[in-house]
Amino acid sequence: MTALARTWDHLTLPGKALFILIPLLALLTTGLIVVIALFGQQILDILIFNLPIVRFVFAATVLLLLAPPIAFVIIYMEMKIIALMNLRIGPDRVGPWGTLLSTIHGLKVLMKEDFTPTRADPVVFTWAPVVVFSTMALSALVIPFAPGLFAQDFNLALLYFFAIGGLTVVGLLMGGWASFNKYSLLGGLRSAAQIVSYEIPLTLSVVGLVILAGTMSLNKIVQQQGVYVDITGSHGSGWFLDWYVFRQPLAFLIFGIAATAEANRTPFDLTEADSEIVAGFATEYSGMRFGFFFFAEYIGVFIISALTTVLFLGGWNAPFPFPRIAWIVDPGSLGIGLLFVVALVPLLGTLLLAAPFYLFRSQTRWWVALIVGFVLFNVLAGAVFFVWMRGTLPRVRIDQLMGFAWKWLLPAALLNLFVTALGVLVADALRGGPA
Amino acid sequence: MATQTFAKGTHPSADDPHVLLEDDYAFYEPIPPYPPRTEREAEFYTLGDGEMFLNMGPQHPSTHGVLRVVLKLDGERVVDIDPVLGYLHRGVEKLVENADYHQTISQVDPLEYISSLFCEWAPVTAYEKLLDVEVPRRAEYIRVLSGELNRIASHALFMGWFALDLGGLTPILWSFIERDEIVEMLAALTGQRMLFNYFRIGGVNGDLNHEFLSRLGDWMSRAVGQVDANTKLLNENEIFVRRASGLGVVDQETAIRYCMTGANLRATGIPFDLRRTHPYSIYPELEFDIPTRSEGDSLARYLLRMEEVKQSLRIIDQCLDKMPDGPIIAKLPRLLRPRPGRAWAAVEGPRGVYGAYAISDGTDQPFRLKIHDPSFIHLQAVGALLPGNLLADTMAIMASLDPVMGGVDK
Repeated sequence: MTALARTWDHLTLPGKALFILIPLLALLTTGLIVVIALFGQQILDILIFNLPIVRFVFAATVLLLLAPPIAFVIIYMEMKIIALMNLRIGPDRVGPWGTLLSTIHGLKVLMKEDFTPTRADPVVFTWAPVVVFSTMALSALVIPFAPGLFAQDFNLALLYFFAIGGLTVVGLLMGGWASFNKYSLLGGLRSAAQIVSYEIPLTLSVVGLVILAGTMSLNKIVQQQGVYVDITGSHGSGWFLDWYVFRQPLAFLIFGIAATAEANRTPFDLTEADSEIVAGFATEYSGMRFGFFFFAEYIGVFIISALTTVLFLGGWNAPFPFPRIAWIVDPGSLGIGLLFVVALVPLLGTLLLAAPFYLFRSQTRWWVALIVGFVLFNVLAGAVFFVWMRGTLPRVRIDQLMGFAWKWLLPAALLNLFVTALGVLVADALRGGPA
Repeated sequence: MATQTFAKGTHPSADDPHVLLEDDYAFYEPIPPYPPRTEREAEFYTLGDGEMFLNMGPQHPSTHGVLRVVLKLDGERVVDIDPVLGYLHRGVEKLVENADYHQTISQVDPLEYISSLFCEWAPVTAYEKLLDVEVPRRAEYIRVLSGELNRIASHALFMGWFALDLGGLTPILWSFIERDEIVEMLAALTGQRMLFNYFRIGGVNGDLNHEFLSRLGDWMSRAVGQVDANTKLLNENEIFVRRASGLGVVDQETAIRYCMTGANLRATGIPFDLRRTHPYSIYPELEFDIPTRSEGDSLARYLLRMEEVKQSLRIIDQCLDKMPDGPIIAKLPRLLRPRPGRAWAAVEGPRGVYGAYAISDGTDQPFRLKIHDPSFIHLQAVGALLPGNLLADTMAIMASLDPVMGGVDK
């Protein structure tokens, strides 16, 4: 007992924490194994009986857990690419080729002082980042990442996405109002005006696509862009020409521009224009509350890129006919797949991003490096495009922003809708009656 | 922010006898809200319907130096502004009166920290007029050469700043390539990167050395291409052109009324450049154009400065070509006692006319040195240009006039 006490005195603080945690974890694991061994069949039965609920809860948890690594990867990418455009080196100290820098930033944010201004409204002030972050994460629930790899698929998925995504503005407005700072207030009001204006062309631009697809289920929209089988037979060639970007090019353009504005990215980053209103709605935020805003922005970039891919770029379909293994995966295997993703995405993301730099430095044959670089570029092309715009373009003014939304994007979206509807009508008439 | 106003003697505590009777030896009296000193101030600090004050600076990330601007906003539109100066005041003109003539050069150096050589040039020329000395020709050539290099460095920084205030992230880092190259070569010549302290009364401090010339030659071989590449980054950018054109338009009459000089005046179409209109130094021997534009907006001011960079490159070429041999400084005693009198000298700097008005009383210290700084003159125009514009454009308009707060506050 005295030996144990002496050991305890010599331990550092993390050592003491581990000293308690390791036996506790061992105990819990043992208990879990025992419970599964005794009641495994009953538990499995309950889970399978409530599969939709289990799936939803599991996927929501996983998405929330996935959010920080995704944000870290995109932030690192942004830092590195903007550094290249600015003729700088960029992060290169923490971890291999600086890949861990954004992770360290995230941890640093956790340790910073969480400061509330004296005359701020503490309740609204605290809840604003939560609202922003959770709406961003919730809108990711309907995005299909792979066959079977989605949280929920229902017939109004696209509408749900826009509805939940539009709620972000409430959080931004809350943050701007509660901060007791005029810069924050201006930022919040700007974000309200901007997001509400761009929501309209954003939604209208995909209506043409919905007319063509005949559904709002994102899963079905992706399937329609590849080879798929339904009652009327087998459809699609499997080539990339089936993607909706070739059937709805104008919609793709409008969607891209409006999505940039929705994600508050340069040149539409008026809500946090640092040369005008310091940091907009985030001016008074510090610590992890600022971290939530920060994560939300990059998760927004990721989700918007993912939605663009799903709607226009064929989702998980390869650009050429590819022998699929089993593209309708058994729901039972979903858990394992998601676990795999959670465990490996941060690691893989870090490694993947570092790979091209490593290959170029290690004097591998140049075409190997080029192919790897090309594949990665394709994977994160949407996000890279956002970063590219940020690196190149100045910011537009608020009146130019509004004028652009109402005078150009909205009529263009309406035109696109009109032409699509007319085309569908004509095609149906030629085919002889609605299909 | 809003100051409650009281007429004289109407403050609640003014007639209260208890205020002073509480304690004879230690008492407390609240300072009454500051009464407006002028009618203009009273009018400015009275809010209309739906208006609010916004305090921009002195710690705002994009004011150029420590300038505080109180904006009266109606939504996002600027109704009125009240610039508050003096956060960088160092009393240079007073310090100069207590230094001898050589020491004053290092005192006036940090006034305009972006292009220090021109702040040295004007007082030094004024002293030379007081002393009636002839500057050796080689010294004049070196002055022009280093001055034009400094002008390019200043304009490069202007380009980056202007783009940054419009939200562009990259141009400032691109333009710093040019500036850093020039600053390094001037450091090789003068020994300092920023506050050169290089000009001397009657000449310059050191002769051209090998490192400077090799760096200069190296840079000149690719300067034109790099300047073109940098300007292409912005000139062909639709968003930049749309935002900058028609922004902060100054017509010729206003420009003259506000005493504008330099690129801000030439952007309105008046070809006024001291190097041609009142030639000094060796400028009459050199070939270069005075570019002008007629629009008078921010874009014109930006394009004009970029055009001036090319003219400066031409001048540097000719300087290197014609550089004569000889001494670099006139023979003068250590302790200077100029004849009593007054002298005025002005040079054309990157921001406009730098002037120096020196009075000598026959001792070894200047009796008075008045610096005429173009930044201060141009900042006055901001009051006329801003109202009616959007909040987003306040900094852009200010940046397009290119003021440096070190020169404004002295």
